[in-house]
Amino acid sequence: MRSTVENFLASKPGKLFVRIVQIGLGLLFIYASLDKIWNPGLFAKSISNYRLLPLPLLHISAIMLPWIELICGLALVTNRYQRAAYTIIGGMLIIFILAIASAMSRGLDFNCGCFSVDSEESNMGLMKVVQNVGLLFSCVLIEYRARVVHLKQAATLD
Amino acid sequence: MNQMSKLIKDIITLVIVSTILGVSAQVVLPNGIGLRTEITVVGDDSTGVAVASVSINPNGASEAATNISLQKAYSAYENGSAIFFDARSPEEFGSGHIKAAVNLPVHAFLDSLNYLENLDFNKHIITYCDGEDCNASIDLAADLKMMGFAQVNFFFGGWQEWRDAGYPVGSKP
Repeated sequence: MRSTVENFLASKPGKLFVRIVQIGLGLLFIYASLDKIWNPGLFAKSISNYRLLPLPLLHISAIMLPWIELICGLALVTNRYQRAAYTIIGGMLIIFILAIASAMSRGLDFNCGCFSVDSEESNMGLMKVVQNVGLLFSCVLIEYRARVVHLKQAATLD
Repeated sequence: MNQMSKLIKDIITLVIVSTILGVSAQVVLPNGIGLRTEITVVGDDSTGVAVASVSINPNGASEAATNISLQKAYSAYENGSAIFFDARSPEEFGSGHIKAAVNLPVHAFLDSLNYLENLDFNKHIITYCDGEDCNASIDLAADLKMMGFAQVNFFFGGWQEWRDAGYPVGSKP
């Protein structure tokens, strides 16, 4: 089973598949960043709802996070600095998952600020955790393919 | 090892580029905010709570909301001169609240922006929560002030003081 997956990932269709996943992830993060970049104040308010960050860090986080999302999204789409980009995105997703789970466990119910600061976005819930886990899986898949290709190339050279 | 140090170098590069762009953009963006979170203390010595003054509306009022006594809150209720906002959760609101109050959970403040934008910004607003054990009324009052509402008070005695005084209550969500 494992070698079938590895063979697929190392093949041309596998390469194309992972590239599509990478571009999709990049476009999603570019989209997710735009509304927050335009409304940093509302995004700061959104972060403050989680009650996890110390108050003095609210503004700087609201300024930095959406731009990191945008730059990493662009890196994934253009296939430059892509390993650093999906590593950062993976790390951010783990933090988002923990923050949403923590808010849910404390009974907080509000717009998560995941994709926009729009009040129409759906509120906290297990679905948000599942969405983020799915995105995290995409990052793992891209890294897994990179390792498979690296190992195959090393084996060919031997 | 070489790959790992390249990865770390690339991560640092992306974070630095993002930070420079993000900070510079605040100067250009119409809704740009400062790097420092302004923290104001809302309330007097006994009720003071530090809240972040998040710039929801750059033209929002800068002076903090103040406390209002039970008697003054009740006369505002009798005159119909104020809107009461209950800052507690919908479940707590459903189990009992000040009559004619509107539920506006403080954590769901952003969900209520569309509703709030259609209100008269000069209308007198009184926020409350459970009582002296909670600060949600103070947080909500600060948010409303930042949004630009001119007359905002928090009723710190809250639901407990109102109920104990035997004043009109509602229990439907």
